Amino acid sequence: MFAHCKNLLLRSADRWLFRLNGAESGEVFLHQRRVFIVPSGAGWGFVAMLAILFIGSINYNLNLGFAFTFLLAACAVVDMHLTFRNLAHLHLVAGRTSAVFCGDVAQFEVHLINRRKHDRFALWLGFVGLPVASITQVADVAAQSATSVTLSTVSTVRGWLPAPRIRLTTQFPLGLLRAWSYWQPDVRVLVYPQPELRAPALPMAGTREQGSGPAGHDDFAGIRAYQVGDAMRHLAWRHIARLDPAIGGALVTKQFDGGATQELRIDFAALPGSLHLEHKLSRMTRWVLDAEAIGAPYAFCLGTLQLAADCGVTQQSRCLQALAEFSTASDTGLTTR
Amino acid sequence: MTRLLPPLSRDKAHMLMLLGACLLVLLPHLLHVSGTIAGGVLGLMGWRGWIVFSGRRLPPRWLLMPVALAAMAGIWSSFHTFFGRDAGVAMLTFLLVLKLLEMHARRDMFVVLYLSFFLLLTSFFYSQTIGTAVLMTCALVALLTAHIGFQYAGVVPPLKRRVRLPLTIVSLALPLMLVLFFLFPRIQGPLWGLPGDANSGRSGLSESMSPGTISDLALSDDIAFRAKFIDPVPPQPQLYWRAAVLGHYDGRSWTANAARSLPAEAIQIARGSAPTRYDITMEPTGRHWLYALDVPLIAPSVPGQRITRSNTFELLTRQPISERLRYEVASWPSASLQTTADPNDIDEALQRPVGFNPATTAFAQQLLQQSSDSTTLIDLVLHYFRHEPFRYTLEPPLLGRDSVDDFLFTTRAGFCEHYAGAFVFLMRELGIPARVVTGYQGGALNPVDGYFEVRQSDAHAWAEVWLEQRGWVRIDPTAAVAPDRIEHTVGLRKPRGLLGGLIGFTPSQGAWLPLLRLNLDALANSWNQWVLGYSPTRQKSLIGSLGFGDVDWTTLTLLMFGCGSAVMALTMIPLLLRRTPMAPIDRIYLRFCNRMARHGLVRGLDEGPRALRDRIARDNRLVTAKKNAAVGFLERYEALQYGTVLTPANNTALTQLKALLAACR
Repeated sequence: MFAHCKNLLLRSADRWLFRLNGAESGEVFLHQRRVFIVPSGAGWGFVAMLAILFIGSINYNLNLGFAFTFLLAACAVVDMHLTFRNLAHLHLVAGRTSAVFCGDVAQFEVHLINRRKHDRFALWLGFVGLPVASITQVADVAAQSATSVTLSTVSTVRGWLPAPRIRLTTQFPLGLLRAWSYWQPDVRVLVYPQPELRAPALPMAGTREQGSGPAGHDDFAGIRAYQVGDAMRHLAWRHIARLDPAIGGALVTKQFDGGATQELRIDFAALPGSLHLEHKLSRMTRWVLDAEAIGAPYAFCLGTLQLAADCGVTQQSRCLQALAEFSTASDTGLTTR
Repeated sequence: MTRLLPPLSRDKAHMLMLLGACLLVLLPHLLHVSGTIAGGVLGLMGWRGWIVFSGRRLPPRWLLMPVALAAMAGIWSSFHTFFGRDAGVAMLTFLLVLKLLEMHARRDMFVVLYLSFFLLLTSFFYSQTIGTAVLMTCALVALLTAHIGFQYAGVVPPLKRRVRLPLTIVSLALPLMLVLFFLFPRIQGPLWGLPGDANSGRSGLSESMSPGTISDLALSDDIAFRAKFIDPVPPQPQLYWRAAVLGHYDGRSWTANAARSLPAEAIQIARGSAPTRYDITMEPTGRHWLYALDVPLIAPSVPGQRITRSNTFELLTRQPISERLRYEVASWPSASLQTTADPNDIDEALQRPVGFNPATTAFAQQLLQQSSDSTTLIDLVLHYFRHEPFRYTLEPPLLGRDSVDDFLFTTRAGFCEHYAGAFVFLMRELGIPARVVTGYQGGALNPVDGYFEVRQSDAHAWAEVWLEQRGWVRIDPTAAVAPDRIEHTVGLRKPRGLLGGLIGFTPSQGAWLPLLRLNLDALANSWNQWVLGYSPTRQKSLIGSLGFGDVDWTTLTLLMFGCGSAVMALTMIPLLLRRTPMAPIDRIYLRFCNRMARHGLVRGLDEGPRALRDRIARDNRLVTAKKNAAVGFLERYEALQYGTVLTPANNTALTQLKALLAACR
């Protein structure tokens, strides 16, 4: 009960005090009402030090001591304004995002635009409200210019991943105060299902049974991504040599056609019913990628989506998006199995 | 918060900057601690500097521990305590240096910063002059520069621009500091008993007078006190500033008798003229006397001090004067004192030690044979001083056991204390009650601020004799020998240093050097008056004089917050609101959009001027005239802003736009 009340209180505080009202689209201006400022730990230490200096000045009747103490206090007040100014009146725009496979790092680019005449230093940006602490990034924005920062978080679930809330913090220049502001950009990243690691070979038409249907060995048809179990002599060494795996290249295997052209069909319904839904989607993702790798046209069938055999970027992205967005609710007929 | 400082490669410059700033902070202390401690501190600083240069790791804790213990031992051997002012300061210096050797986290930077601030404050124990204030401000700026250096996370601007930021901070802080300084409700210290060494090392008149005590002071150019006359300034020869009356002689030195404060009616005072009123700001002496012109009849009132006027017309405080004191006092320069004297006073004023100065006693007998009238006898003695080859010198020969005999008949050279002492002794031998008065004579008016400056070199001693009917009369035997000493203040100044001794420094009218000196002294005086002498009482009178009547701390606090906010707003608002000015054409477009929004035609975020124009043209909320104006405005705007033909957005174009904007009101 108490925990519930506390949660409610915190949430209403978030809404009312910190003005957290959901995602904001377009360019966001950090006006003064959105920037909050409190003394940092060092700032409280500073206050304690000022108190001691003041008492010392009284006790030893040091008028210059009073002047010094007040000068330091005034410096802290000026610092408060400068710290506030370092963050306030900043313009924020979310940048482009690109889709990732589940388990990969989703990257959100944000642009900080400084339309003022003063430089801004040491702005720390990081996601808040995530189960795992994310790495904060630091940025400087010179006067009348813009800086881009890429924040990243690990994707854990396929589907659309909205950008988590971003906290911008700064303690510059003296570190006695901490100013911060929240911003939830209206951007999301499409998270594809994770490709299955040890998927069976591509399902060629006619060889419907799962896992079987080895590719032919007669005519060289193209290359595809390496899979565990491929024979060493089938590796396309010439291709591999062009791009060193150490710098991002991948092992590729030569693909041979077994004579007659086979139709490649990636069908959700054709997968064995014993598999878990996510497992099925994961395998289909792998197959789409493999088919693209060898450049083989493939038909795609998932729920209500029926795509004719094709190959290329458009086909791949349509398929992958369908896989990412596939929801059991919309296709109940398939999930009951 | 505990982000580790990156390895020194990038921060080398910052670290050196910090070390330099710390050295600046430590400098005043190094001049005041013993050689061992100063050596230790400098050695550790050198070690730290070497670590920065060589890029080595900081020493491990097992190495720092014995160093810290050695530092403690050094402090103990110097002070035999860990408490008290000086030992505490020495501890702080070592703490700072050892912390510099143990900086691992960001938090440690703050510790170094705060320790440095403490040390800056403690350096005011030694000196609170303008120079110190300037030096400390420089140290503060250096510290903040070094500190901000560590606060940059990405780009680090060059040093020249880095220094600008703390300079800005400090200069923006100055107005607020002034408000706080003058308006923060003050409490009169001390809050607890000061350690014994709190008021050491002050110079001034001592409690006794023996040959040499005043001539030592004559070498000091320090200001003893300043006076501001409310009434006309008395002529220079009458400027006898009275401090102590010494009535007891032991053959070597003159000391004060126990002061008695007599009831007012026991002292009969014939007031000869109107009093002279003036303000005095005296430097702390550590003694009990206040200074006042001959003769103060009424004790002044000073808040926090109880002041009495003794039977010998001294102004005495109960507590030693440990801080600069300001009081208003009135004197009656031509008053006759105690025409009927207390027999006790007379007895004291005839006291002389037995078995000293036989030649003087013989000389007195000889004089008594010539006359028995007191006035004649005094004239005879002064005549003797004037016509025998007496010299007035700062470096008199040494005197033997019978010092008055030696002075009167052998050496015949001395400073005012020789003359006053010998004269009083001779008077007592003649049966005339007499006593020594010490204080200051003369002083110089600083034309810059109108204050009378009296320096330690103006210290003087003279005599008072008691005459029937006339009471206590001041007689200055020095004047008989060196009338210049009294007539002009610059009669006998010590040679100033090496160059002064060689060239002979005599200030002349209109010379720039004395003028500069006067200006500096005036500056130092206003510094004293407004900064160092700004006490709770002065605060009250200042605020009261601004028309706030009786001031209590709530008024002060309100006033402080009011003025502080005003000052802060004045300094910070330009900084916060300084934005890039909008181009005139953009401003007009913004006004147009706002106007349309009032008519219910809100421009979409992604709507360009053309799309907006089409929408307005289709809309029927506007009357035709306005609609045409709006469409015309947008056409014109589009042509100016995005047109293929480069149309300069000059004044004519802007005027057209404004006219169209007015038309769609």
